[in-house]
Amino acid sequence: MSEPLDLTLREQATAIAGGEVDAGELLEACLERIEERNPALNAVVETFPDRSREMLAAAPAGPLHGVPIVIKDEWPLPWRAQRFGAAEMLAPTAPGESGPYRALRDAGAVVVGVGNMHELGASSTGNISVYGPARNPWNLESCPGGSSSGPAAALAGRLVAGAVGADGVGSIRYPAAYCGLTGLKPTFGRSAMAGHHMAGISTTIVSGALCADAADCRLLDSVLYGEELRAGEPEGLRIGVIRGEVSEDVAPPVREACEGAIEDLRRESGGEVREIELPELAAATLATVLIANSESLGGVTVEKLNELDPELSPIGRGLLKYRVLLPAIATIKAGEVRTMARRTLAQVFEEVDLIAWPTVPAVAPPLEAPLVELPSGTVTADEANVRGGALANLTGIPAISVPVGSSEGLPIGLQLQAAWGRDELLLDAAEALERANGRRWVEALPPSARGAQTQKA
Amino acid sequence: MEASDRSDDFIPAGLAAFGIEADEIELAVIGAAHQTFWPPILELLQLDTSQVPTERDPDLSQAPPSR
Repeated sequence: MSEPLDLTLREQATAIAGGEVDAGELLEACLERIEERNPALNAVVETFPDRSREMLAAAPAGPLHGVPIVIKDEWPLPWRAQRFGAAEMLAPTAPGESGPYRALRDAGAVVVGVGNMHELGASSTGNISVYGPARNPWNLESCPGGSSSGPAAALAGRLVAGAVGADGVGSIRYPAAYCGLTGLKPTFGRSAMAGHHMAGISTTIVSGALCADAADCRLLDSVLYGEELRAGEPEGLRIGVIRGEVSEDVAPPVREACEGAIEDLRRESGGEVREIELPELAAATLATVLIANSESLGGVTVEKLNELDPELSPIGRGLLKYRVLLPAIATIKAGEVRTMARRTLAQVFEEVDLIAWPTVPAVAPPLEAPLVELPSGTVTADEANVRGGALANLTGIPAISVPVGSSEGLPIGLQLQAAWGRDELLLDAAEALERANGRRWVEALPPSARGAQTQKA
Repeated sequence: MEASDRSDDFIPAGLAAFGIEADEIELAVIGAAHQTFWPPILELLQLDTSQVPTERDPDLSQAPPSR
């Protein structure tokens, strides 16, 4: 057997259940690996070995019995309040049992550490955090993606085999793409959300899994959903593609890899590719940002804004203050755009099963200067990434990022989106794509995660 | 006067109206954000949504009911 820590999530669970791997030994090995590899990655911002051991001692039999998991710094734990990657949060926080924590605990999993994240969840890059940025295991000078930067870096560095993130405007899918992982943004409301500081306020945020491949996502997301996400065989997939910025203003290697993957998926499923139109896409991107920004202002007062913690980054402080200036009429218009986009999508999903475009238009940019080169010119990674990531959050539909290639040694991700409630179809399609490319990209390992396996080979 | 011409006044006036203080670096961040967001916001406000039916408290876990 391979080193247990290098097994997939499902293999770890099966090996523990079958008595081939001792869960206590796996936990200690995981803690050791975090100690060994994390200083370079800064993916995990806190471990609590005694709490993890207590969790294991009390773990019920369940689908993830004894399996170590990293959870994003967005979810409270009974012994730790979330910090949201920031020196200060404007919303009150306290330790507690968040929905994802309860789901993991009840499935027998062991929370082994807290994953880093972009400050206040406010970027697709992960380059700013109160803990310092997490680093991309594929290139330590590159952005890991955000805001679920730590869960992604921990997974890609094989510190753990499963991690829980959150996605309010692409925050699971961007880091999945940058780090060569599979990341599912569930249909709004399907996955555990209790205990989040914006639960009941946010209309865009969901919890979700980041894993090496789709089968692992299926397992971990089934736990987060509280229901089994059954596997199926996608046949005759009708794949929708659109012309325009989101699929064409894309770095050539990313475009080539994604177009190739769409063709692979079409061939594997015996399906077809159809051109579709989403006239509200550009407005939907802005609408998502406006809605997410306005929803984040709960609990804000002028006094708080004038007394922000100086350890909060200048960008974080400035953006918080700018949000107050955004006009209410723009947020109302954003709601109307949401209605229009949802209606258009409902019609589109009568014609196609999936919509496909690059998760992000360029590979991970440098941490020091997160800019990307696109055919239209140089833009910030955030400005570019949100074009493809926002629609699913605005409308509530599920979306998944799947690794489909590499450029300059950095991964490329393809995003698939489906109609409301068809999360299982996305996992089925992702698995079909893995079969089509021989699992080449889901099994690729970054340099920092190759050590043990190379030595064993 | 074009709406965009007034943007230089918008930030200091807006912050002052709310009583929000900002240092030079924060003002630079706010200015950059404004340059990014304001033009598309003005475009958004031009969008004719008079025919869009109101979807109050939409159930985002499902397709809109009138599909």
